[in-house]
Amino acid sequence: MKAEALSSIIGGFAGGQTVVSSVGARLTVGQLLEHADELFRRSLVTSGSRIALCGLAACDLITSLTAFDGRVGAMLLLPAFADSAARDRFLAAAGCTHRMDGDGIRVLPNRLEEGCSSDADATQWLLPTSGTTGVPKLIGHTLLSLTRTVKRDVAKGRGFIWGLLYDPCRFAGLQVILQALLSGSLLSVSPSYDFDRQVEGLIAGGVNALSATPTLWRKLLMDGRIRECPLRQITLGGEIADQSLLNGLKHCFPAARIVHIYASTEAGVGFSVHDGMAGFPAAWLESERAPVPMMVRGDGHLLVRPATVPEGAETAGRLDADGYLDTEDLVRVAGDRVFFSGRASGAVNVGGNKVMPEYVEEHIRRVDGVFDVCVYGKRSSMMGQIVAADIVCESGVDSAELRREILRYCRSVMESWQVPGIISFVSELHENAAGKRERKT
Amino acid sequence: MKEKIVAIIGEIAAEYGWRVIDDWQEDSVLLESGLDSLGFAILVARLEEELEYDPFTMMDEPVYPRTLGEFVAVYDRYAS
Repeated sequence: MKAEALSSIIGGFAGGQTVVSSVGARLTVGQLLEHADELFRRSLVTSGSRIALCGLAACDLITSLTAFDGRVGAMLLLPAFADSAARDRFLAAAGCTHRMDGDGIRVLPNRLEEGCSSDADATQWLLPTSGTTGVPKLIGHTLLSLTRTVKRDVAKGRGFIWGLLYDPCRFAGLQVILQALLSGSLLSVSPSYDFDRQVEGLIAGGVNALSATPTLWRKLLMDGRIRECPLRQITLGGEIADQSLLNGLKHCFPAARIVHIYASTEAGVGFSVHDGMAGFPAAWLESERAPVPMMVRGDGHLLVRPATVPEGAETAGRLDADGYLDTEDLVRVAGDRVFFSGRASGAVNVGGNKVMPEYVEEHIRRVDGVFDVCVYGKRSSMMGQIVAADIVCESGVDSAELRREILRYCRSVMESWQVPGIISFVSELHENAAGKRERKT
Repeated sequence: MKEKIVAIIGEIAAEYGWRVIDDWQEDSVLLESGLDSLGFAILVARLEEELEYDPFTMMDEPVYPRTLGEFVAVYDRYAS
């Protein structure tokens, strides 16, 4: 049986209902379906086509998803990459036949559509993830697996105006878009990624439901203008939500429903917590009341058993015999609560951006004067974690000068969140009993 | 405290290549000064090394300072 496509879900709403608004412009259900149909006809794609959607703005992305879901083999969603080599690798890995960006859709050269049809009952939604090793990988979803936990209560949904602060092509942004679309809410999008303009857009759009990372919520609270939004739904995701921030949001928006989401691109969607407390109830472990079956392995890894397991070798290797997926998130149980304590891989989460310590270490080792280095995540009350580096310098090297050189080099080759925020000079680094470098936490 | 904080902002801005304002006033708006969330996180971590406390982890009711004056007041309040 064919799975329900996005266009047929949207087609169930009244044609005159507004779906997306952006600085004065509005798109209704009828217009969206019309634009999507037009795009589909113009594209000359078949059920075997595999389309890369590259760095599309929210409105274009929504039109494309509506046009192609259920009608093509796969859609690869890529954020606006600065690095075109990475983009091309993903296009090749996904076997893309077409590429669509802000300039339109075109057929990719030398890519044949195998068999020109697909037996699959649903279009694949391919999303890049930084994976467990930090090397980006593609994870295969479907509309169904991405929206399994999305509330489809249209009577309630109609009262919400969702703001979009995330990149629409990334997992978190896609979740907001699908939540708004499937529950008949209005989605208010900003044409700019500039923080000031985004906040202005949220206020002008009358946004009353918003999803952001804890880091971004702290920034919004510092800025203060967000208080002008009549928020009724507050969602936090992408990082560990701490009690202090949850209290701060409750204080500013006493009437809002505050939800922190645990989700991983690999596992599809996880679960949400809405009791205003950090972590989640320990009663959910091995309990009928749990939103998804889950358990804590002896080594502190959280395992979840998703209803639909995303395709791909990456996830297959992390499933146990009972269908539990290793999230590679470390948890600790304290009383009646389970708290997240970080990634088993040692990956540092800087405001929602994952940094692999080994990657930063490899670069720092290239700087003249560095004898050895250990990179780890330092807890930050502002961003969850920041990157910290302990350095052993070669004898006779001036540490102040070396510090400047390390920062200068890191800034030239890394993203800002990967550059160490704290650099300490130490006389030696420690290994654990297994001979592995001991990273502080 | 204010002088110390402004001096550290200047130091890290130079190290990380951020363009921050020169003329810091009590009512300078932090998010309009050239620092972003990451900048603040580094500033708070650097101040923790220097002062040996992070007031943002010590609060019962969280405070999100908007201006330099409010930021300095947070550090003053928790200075031992």
